[in-house]
Amino acid sequence: MSPGKTKGIGPYLLIAPAGLLLAVFLVLPYLNIGVMSFRVPGQGTPYGEGFTLVNYARFFADSFYIWQVVNTLWIGFLTTAICLVIGFPVAWQLTRPNMRFRGLAYGLVLSPLLVGIVIRSYGWTILLGNNGLINRTLTNMGLIDSPLPLMYNALGIIIALVHVFLPFMILPIMNGIQGIDPSLEAAARSLGASRTTAFRRIVLPLSMPGIQAGCILVFVLSLSAYVTPSLIGGLKVKTMAVTVVDALIDTFQWPFGSALALMLSVTGAVIVVIFGRMTRMKWKVA
Amino acid sequence: MSRPFLTGYCLLIYAFLLAPILVVVGASFNAGAFLTFPPQGLSFRWYITFFNNEVFMRAIRTSLWVAFVTMIISGVIGTMAALFHVLHARRSKDVVRIAMLAPLLLPEVLTAISLLFFVYAIGIGTQNMVGMIIGHVLITLPFVFINVSASLESFDPSWDMAARSLGAPKLVRFRRIMLPMIKSGVIGGCLFAFIISFDIFTISFMLKGVGTSTLPIQLFDYLRTNFTPEAAAVSTVSIVLTLTVVIISEKVLGLRIHRF
Repeated sequence: MSPGKTKGIGPYLLIAPAGLLLAVFLVLPYLNIGVMSFRVPGQGTPYGEGFTLVNYARFFADSFYIWQVVNTLWIGFLTTAICLVIGFPVAWQLTRPNMRFRGLAYGLVLSPLLVGIVIRSYGWTILLGNNGLINRTLTNMGLIDSPLPLMYNALGIIIALVHVFLPFMILPIMNGIQGIDPSLEAAARSLGASRTTAFRRIVLPLSMPGIQAGCILVFVLSLSAYVTPSLIGGLKVKTMAVTVVDALIDTFQWPFGSALALMLSVTGAVIVVIFGRMTRMKWKVA
Repeated sequence: MSRPFLTGYCLLIYAFLLAPILVVVGASFNAGAFLTFPPQGLSFRWYITFFNNEVFMRAIRTSLWVAFVTMIISGVIGTMAALFHVLHARRSKDVVRIAMLAPLLLPEVLTAISLLFFVYAIGIGTQNMVGMIIGHVLITLPFVFINVSASLESFDPSWDMAARSLGAPKLVRFRRIMLPMIKSGVIGGCLFAFIISFDIFTISFMLKGVGTSTLPIQLFDYLRTNFTPEAAAVSTVSIVLTLTVVIISEKVLGLRIHRF
């Protein structure tokens, strides 16, 4: 592939700026946050001198935080599962060879990605609020007397998160299905397999890499989402990411905030690895 | 699933995807003081309020400025990295790719927090926009890299060799062969970096300084306490801005932007 010999340091100058940027402003900060979680909580300053395990002790001692992690994981899990169930048929249809208006449909799937996350979450508050579009319409139609609790709870957060992350489920699955040779399905059919059997035995297993990629993407994004849970959940339901950011911005508890962030990340990473093992994932990046 | 059923199902999902966006746009033309349904008549009053609101106008200027600077920096170093990846990297190919995509694979909130601590640790702080722009460059870098790499995939080294054997110097070869090949990838990547940067929230939220709120942050702050349709007007203008960039790139320039 390389044209001629890679000679001298010339080519390395091309990668140097990006490499340096990532090393200094991504790798070092991530190492630093690990160190920060062992710092002594500060009095009047974000952190004090010396190192301690007290931040982690505080996490494990307080069932409030543990439950919040469990809650966040549960919301992430449900969001992922719903995205998979409602996203797969869309991805499937988008890859049918004879589909009409494919360009338009593809554009529709991508369109939410072009609208900022604050705006999309705001749209959901208009829809889901107690005086929102949905509750107003139902009340006006005489179907309900008091507004349905759609916002300020896990349900509202999940609805909005599914919307925000659905494209991240559909796109990888589409890529996965596109890689399947259509003649495989045709062969199965000609050998007498029903459409359902051909789908279950051929298409589904072969689209697994796309499904895995989509699930991991949506799960990780849901765990670390801040804007949506913050606007939809309000002060009543807080996910871990919201608690962490608020602990850092409002109360400047840097060491404890770091410990919380890392506990959530580590738990999320462990679940992703277990998921990969269970689904016999071949680890491959993009 | 039968065909008509599947089509109907997909139409429902598309409606679900569009609903909150359409609702925001619709709400921005509401004449009433609150978001009520059905709207109390059509009006541009909230747009006028918004255009006279110096706080939001300053936020828009900040956002455009940050997105522009981010686009230039990301565009240059992302393109260089993609050239290295496709043309020169051999054994390091996978490592380079994973490293370049890392900002996309890591949770943005964790990156934002790490960066916040780090800019204080090295003394940059958040008094100016340096930290915020560094964060934006990190997040947008993968998109430039992906687009430029994709445009280079069909690159045939023998063209470059042919030019060299005909005596073309390095600079001429770059300008006449390489640049036309990667041009669409570079422009597409840069425009996408601009859009992404314009919409970034978490990084900006953690690294914002005094008086350097971007539009998404200002909107978020506003939404925590206010319920007037002014926020909808702000959102609609923001959506239109993004849409303009996309339409220019895809229809006028004929680019196909790679998102993944």
